[in-house]
Amino acid sequence: MSTRTGLSIPSVGASFAVPDVEADAEKSAEAENTYILRPIFQQRFRPSTVKDCIHDVLKEELTNAEYIPEEMPQLTKHLSETIKDKLKEMGFDRYKMVVQVVIGEQRGEGVFMAARCFWDADTDNYVHDVFMNESLFCIVAAFGCFYY
Amino acid sequence: MEEYRRHFEEVGFNAEEAHNIVKDCIDEVLGGEDYDQDDINQWTASIVEQSLAHLVRLGKAYKYIVTCAIVQKSSYGFHTASSCFWDTVADGTCTVRWENQTMNCIASVFAIAIVL
Repeated sequence: MSTRTGLSIPSVGASFAVPDVEADAEKSAEAENTYILRPIFQQRFRPSTVKDCIHDVLKEELTNAEYIPEEMPQLTKHLSETIKDKLKEMGFDRYKMVVQVVIGEQRGEGVFMAARCFWDADTDNYVHDVFMNESLFCIVAAFGCFYY
Repeated sequence: MEEYRRHFEEVGFNAEEAHNIVKDCIDEVLGGEDYDQDDINQWTASIVEQSLAHLVRLGKAYKYIVTCAIVQKSSYGFHTASSCFWDTVADGTCTVRWENQTMNCIASVFAIAIVL
Protein backbone atom coordinates (compact mmCIF):
# COMPACT_ATOMS: atom_id res chain seq x y z
CA MET A 1 0.00 0.00 0.00
CA SER A 2 1.55 3.22 -1.02
CA THR A 3 1.01 6.21 1.24
CA ARG A 4 0.01 9.47 -0.28
CA THR A 5 1.66 12.56 1.00
CA GLY A 6 -0.24 15.77 1.46
CA LEU A 7 -3.67 14.16 1.53
CA SER A 8 -5.27 13.08 4.79
CA ILE A 9 -7.59 10.28 3.78
CA PRO A 10 -8.88 8.40 6.83
CA SER A 11 -9.26 5.04 5.09
CA VAL A 12 -5.60 4.50 4.33
CA GLY A 13 -5.67 0.89 5.47
CA ALA A 14 -8.51 -0.13 3.13
CA SER A 15 -7.78 -2.65 0.41
CA PHE A 16 -9.03 -0.35 -2.34
CA ALA A 17 -7.76 3.12 -3.10
CA VAL A 18 -10.03 5.99 -2.17
CA PRO A 19 -10.47 8.08 -5.30
CA ASP A 20 -8.69 11.44 -4.96
CA VAL A 21 -11.30 13.15 -7.06
CA GLU A 22 -13.87 13.14 -4.31
CA ALA A 23 -11.61 14.84 -1.84
CA ASP A 24 -10.66 17.49 -4.41
CA ALA A 25 -14.26 18.16 -5.33
CA GLU A 26 -15.11 18.77 -1.70
CA LYS A 27 -12.32 21.28 -1.38
CA SER A 28 -13.25 23.28 -4.46
CA ALA A 29 -16.84 23.60 -3.28
CA GLU A 30 -15.72 26.31 -0.86
CA ALA A 31 -15.54 29.84 -2.20
CA GLU A 32 -11.99 30.67 -3.10
CA ASN A 33 -10.22 33.76 -4.25
CA THR A 34 -10.09 33.91 -8.01
CA TYR A 35 -7.16 36.33 -8.14
CA ILE A 36 -8.61 37.72 -11.34
CA LEU A 37 -7.18 41.12 -12.16
CA ARG A 38 -8.14 41.30 -15.80
CA PRO A 39 -11.40 40.31 -17.45
CA ILE A 40 -11.48 37.03 -19.35
CA PHE A 41 -11.26 37.84 -23.03
CA GLN A 42 -14.75 36.53 -23.86
CA GLN A 43 -16.27 38.58 -21.06
CA ARG A 44 -14.69 41.89 -21.91
CA PHE A 45 -16.95 44.93 -22.29
CA ARG A 46 -16.76 45.25 -26.06
CA PRO A 47 -18.19 48.47 -27.48
CA SER A 48 -19.22 46.96 -30.81
CA THR A 49 -21.52 44.28 -29.37
CA VAL A 50 -22.91 46.59 -26.72
CA LYS A 51 -23.65 49.25 -29.31
CA ASP A 52 -25.62 46.75 -31.41
CA CYS A 53 -27.61 45.76 -28.35
CA ILE A 54 -28.43 49.36 -27.43
CA HIS A 55 -29.32 50.25 -30.98
CA ASP A 56 -31.76 47.33 -31.18
CA VAL A 57 -33.50 48.45 -28.01
CA LEU A 58 -33.76 52.06 -29.21
CA LYS A 59 -35.08 51.01 -32.59
CA GLU A 60 -37.69 48.80 -31.05
CA GLU A 61 -38.86 51.30 -28.45
CA LEU A 62 -38.56 54.63 -30.23
CA THR A 63 -39.20 54.17 -33.94
CA ASN A 64 -42.86 55.09 -33.61
CA ALA A 65 -42.58 57.07 -30.39
CA GLU A 66 -43.76 60.64 -30.22
CA TYR A 67 -42.74 63.29 -27.77
CA ILE A 68 -45.54 63.42 -25.21
CA PRO A 69 -44.36 65.49 -22.24
CA GLU A 70 -46.31 63.50 -19.62
CA GLU A 71 -44.89 60.18 -20.76
CA MET A 72 -41.25 61.16 -21.07
CA PRO A 73 -40.10 60.74 -17.46
CA GLN A 74 -41.52 57.23 -17.59
CA LEU A 75 -39.98 56.48 -20.97
CA THR A 76 -36.46 57.62 -20.07
CA LYS A 77 -36.52 55.52 -16.90
CA HIS A 78 -37.95 52.55 -18.74
CA LEU A 79 -35.27 52.77 -21.44
CA SER A 80 -32.39 52.99 -19.01
CA GLU A 81 -33.74 50.03 -17.03
CA THR A 82 -34.26 47.93 -20.16
CA ILE A 83 -30.80 48.63 -21.48
CA LYS A 84 -29.21 47.94 -18.11
CA ASP A 85 -31.04 44.60 -17.92
CA LYS A 86 -29.93 43.73 -21.45
CA LEU A 87 -26.32 44.46 -20.53
CA LYS A 88 -26.62 42.30 -17.43
CA GLU A 89 -27.82 39.43 -19.62
CA MET A 90 -24.80 39.77 -21.86
CA GLY A 91 -22.70 38.24 -19.10
CA PHE A 92 -19.91 40.72 -18.49
CA ASP A 93 -18.54 39.04 -15.40
CA ARG A 94 -17.22 41.39 -12.68
CA TYR A 95 -18.39 44.51 -14.44
CA LYS A 96 -20.35 47.33 -12.93
CA MET A 97 -22.57 49.10 -15.39
CA VAL A 98 -23.87 52.64 -15.67
CA VAL A 99 -26.47 53.56 -18.28
CA GLN A 100 -27.49 57.13 -18.90
CA VAL A 101 -30.38 58.07 -21.16
CA VAL A 102 -31.20 61.56 -22.40
CA ILE A 103 -34.35 62.33 -24.35
CA GLY A 104 -35.24 65.70 -25.80
CA GLU A 105 -37.87 67.18 -28.03
CA GLN A 106 -36.67 67.53 -31.61
CA ARG A 107 -37.25 71.21 -32.34
CA GLY A 108 -33.88 72.41 -33.46
CA GLU A 109 -32.59 73.63 -30.11
CA GLY A 110 -28.89 73.24 -29.42
CA VAL A 111 -27.66 70.39 -27.23
CA PHE A 112 -24.17 69.30 -26.37
CA MET A 113 -23.14 66.45 -24.17
CA ALA A 114 -19.71 65.43 -22.95
CA ALA A 115 -18.28 62.77 -20.65
CA ARG A 116 -14.88 62.21 -19.09
CA CYS A 117 -13.86 59.18 -17.11
CA PHE A 118 -11.16 58.48 -14.60
CA TRP A 119 -10.63 54.72 -14.75
CA ASP A 120 -8.52 51.81 -15.97
CA ALA A 121 -8.51 52.27 -19.73
CA ASP A 122 -7.30 48.69 -20.18
CA THR A 123 -10.43 47.06 -18.76
CA ASP A 124 -13.14 49.72 -18.71
CA ASN A 125 -14.99 51.03 -21.69
CA TYR A 126 -18.01 52.96 -22.83
CA VAL A 127 -20.38 53.23 -25.77
CA HIS A 128 -22.80 55.85 -26.86
CA ASP A 129 -25.60 55.76 -29.34
CA VAL A 130 -27.85 58.43 -30.77
CA PHE A 131 -31.33 57.83 -32.07
CA MET A 132 -33.53 60.39 -33.75
CA ASN A 133 -36.99 60.47 -35.25
CA GLU A 134 -39.24 63.36 -36.29
CA SER A 135 -40.38 64.28 -32.83
CA LEU A 136 -37.57 63.36 -30.41
CA PHE A 137 -33.89 62.59 -30.07
CA CYS A 138 -32.36 60.13 -27.66
CA ILE A 139 -28.77 59.77 -26.51
CA VAL A 140 -27.64 56.71 -24.59
CA ALA A 141 -24.27 56.40 -22.93
CA ALA A 142 -23.30 53.08 -21.32
CA PHE A 143 -20.19 52.66 -19.18
CA GLY A 144 -18.66 49.40 -18.03
CA CYS A 145 -16.29 49.38 -15.07
CA PHE A 146 -14.35 46.27 -14.14
CA TYR A 147 -13.90 45.54 -10.45
CA TYR A 148 -10.89 43.56 -9.35
CA MET B 1 -7.02 44.40 5.23
CA GLU B 2 -9.84 44.24 7.74
CA GLU B 3 -8.93 47.63 9.10
CA TYR B 4 -8.69 49.16 5.69
CA ARG B 5 -12.07 47.78 4.79
CA ARG B 6 -13.76 49.22 7.84
CA HIS B 7 -12.22 52.58 7.18
CA PHE B 8 -13.45 52.46 3.63
CA GLU B 9 -17.02 51.61 4.58
CA GLU B 10 -17.17 54.58 6.88
CA VAL B 11 -16.17 56.96 4.16
CA GLY B 12 -18.39 55.80 1.26
CA PHE B 13 -19.21 58.28 -1.45
CA ASN B 14 -19.96 61.78 -0.25
CA ALA B 15 -22.61 62.96 -2.69
CA GLU B 16 -22.91 66.38 -1.11
CA GLU B 17 -19.22 67.08 -1.48
CA ALA B 18 -19.33 66.03 -5.13
CA HIS B 19 -22.42 68.14 -5.68
CA ASN B 20 -20.63 71.25 -4.41
CA ILE B 21 -17.55 70.55 -6.52
CA VAL B 22 -19.54 70.17 -9.72
CA LYS B 23 -21.73 73.17 -8.98
CA ASP B 24 -18.68 75.37 -8.42
CA CYS B 25 -17.19 74.18 -11.71
CA ILE B 26 -20.37 74.95 -13.63
CA ASP B 27 -20.62 78.37 -11.99
CA GLU B 28 -17.07 79.11 -12.97
CA VAL B 29 -17.45 78.03 -16.60
CA LEU B 30 -21.00 79.14 -17.42
CA GLY B 31 -21.38 82.07 -15.03
CA GLY B 32 -22.18 85.23 -16.98
CA GLU B 33 -22.24 83.43 -20.35
CA ASP B 34 -25.07 83.18 -22.86
CA TYR B 35 -25.74 80.21 -25.10
CA ASP B 36 -23.35 80.17 -28.03
CA GLN B 37 -23.08 77.15 -30.26
CA ASP B 38 -19.43 77.87 -31.05
CA ASP B 39 -18.41 77.76 -27.40
CA ILE B 40 -20.63 74.97 -26.10
CA ASN B 41 -18.16 72.25 -27.04
CA GLN B 42 -15.47 74.01 -25.04
CA TRP B 43 -17.77 74.60 -22.07
CA THR B 44 -18.96 71.02 -21.64
CA ALA B 45 -15.38 69.80 -21.95
CA SER B 46 -14.18 72.30 -19.33
CA ILE B 47 -16.96 71.39 -16.89
CA VAL B 48 -16.35 67.64 -17.01
CA GLU B 49 -12.58 67.95 -16.97
CA GLN B 50 -12.43 70.41 -14.09
CA SER B 51 -14.97 68.48 -12.04
CA LEU B 52 -13.06 65.27 -12.63
CA ALA B 53 -9.77 66.89 -11.66
CA HIS B 54 -11.27 68.15 -8.40
CA LEU B 55 -12.87 64.78 -7.58
CA VAL B 56 -9.65 62.90 -8.23
CA ARG B 57 -7.81 65.34 -6.00
CA LEU B 58 -9.94 64.13 -3.07
CA GLY B 59 -7.71 61.06 -3.20
CA LYS B 60 -10.39 58.41 -2.67
CA ALA B 61 -10.29 54.91 -4.13
CA TYR B 62 -12.86 55.54 -6.81
CA LYS B 63 -13.15 55.40 -10.53
CA TYR B 64 -15.17 58.36 -11.77
CA ILE B 65 -17.50 58.94 -14.68
CA VAL B 66 -18.60 62.51 -15.23
CA THR B 67 -21.13 63.51 -17.87
CA CYS B 68 -22.51 66.89 -18.69
CA ALA B 69 -25.21 68.04 -21.10
CA ILE B 70 -25.93 71.66 -21.96
CA VAL B 71 -29.18 72.53 -23.68
CA GLN B 72 -30.24 75.80 -25.16
CA LYS B 73 -33.14 77.09 -23.11
CA SER B 74 -36.46 76.70 -24.87
CA SER B 75 -39.99 75.67 -24.13
CA TYR B 76 -39.17 72.19 -25.40
CA GLY B 77 -38.74 69.20 -23.15
CA PHE B 78 -35.57 67.52 -22.06
CA HIS B 79 -35.27 64.45 -19.85
CA THR B 80 -32.49 62.36 -18.48
CA ALA B 81 -32.42 59.12 -16.50
CA SER B 82 -29.75 56.67 -15.47
CA SER B 83 -29.65 53.06 -14.32
CA CYS B 84 -26.73 51.49 -12.56
CA PHE B 85 -25.72 47.93 -11.85
CA TRP B 86 -23.27 48.18 -8.96
CA ASP B 87 -22.66 47.94 -5.22
CA THR B 88 -25.18 50.33 -3.69
CA VAL B 89 -23.22 50.65 -0.45
CA ALA B 90 -19.81 51.63 -1.77
CA ASP B 91 -20.70 53.31 -5.05
CA GLY B 92 -22.58 56.53 -5.47
CA THR B 93 -23.94 59.11 -7.84
CA CYS B 94 -24.96 62.72 -7.81
CA THR B 95 -26.65 64.97 -10.35
CA VAL B 96 -26.48 68.74 -10.56
CA ARG B 97 -29.02 70.92 -12.35
CA TRP B 98 -28.03 74.41 -13.28
CA GLU B 99 -29.70 77.06 -15.37
CA ASN B 100 -29.50 80.67 -16.40
CA GLN B 101 -31.50 82.80 -18.83
CA THR B 102 -30.30 81.06 -21.99
CA MET B 103 -29.32 77.51 -21.13
CA ASN B 104 -29.89 74.48 -18.95
CA CYS B 105 -27.07 72.29 -17.74
CA ILE B 106 -27.31 68.80 -16.25
CA ALA B 107 -24.16 67.18 -14.93
CA SER B 108 -23.90 63.71 -13.37
CA VAL B 109 -21.11 62.08 -11.43
CA PHE B 110 -20.87 58.32 -10.99
CA ALA B 111 -18.32 57.08 -8.48
CA ILE B 112 -17.36 53.42 -8.64
CA ALA B 113 -15.37 51.95 -5.76
CA ILE B 114 -12.16 50.17 -6.66
CA VAL B 115 -11.70 48.33 -3.34
CA LEU B 116 -14.45 45.89 -2.45
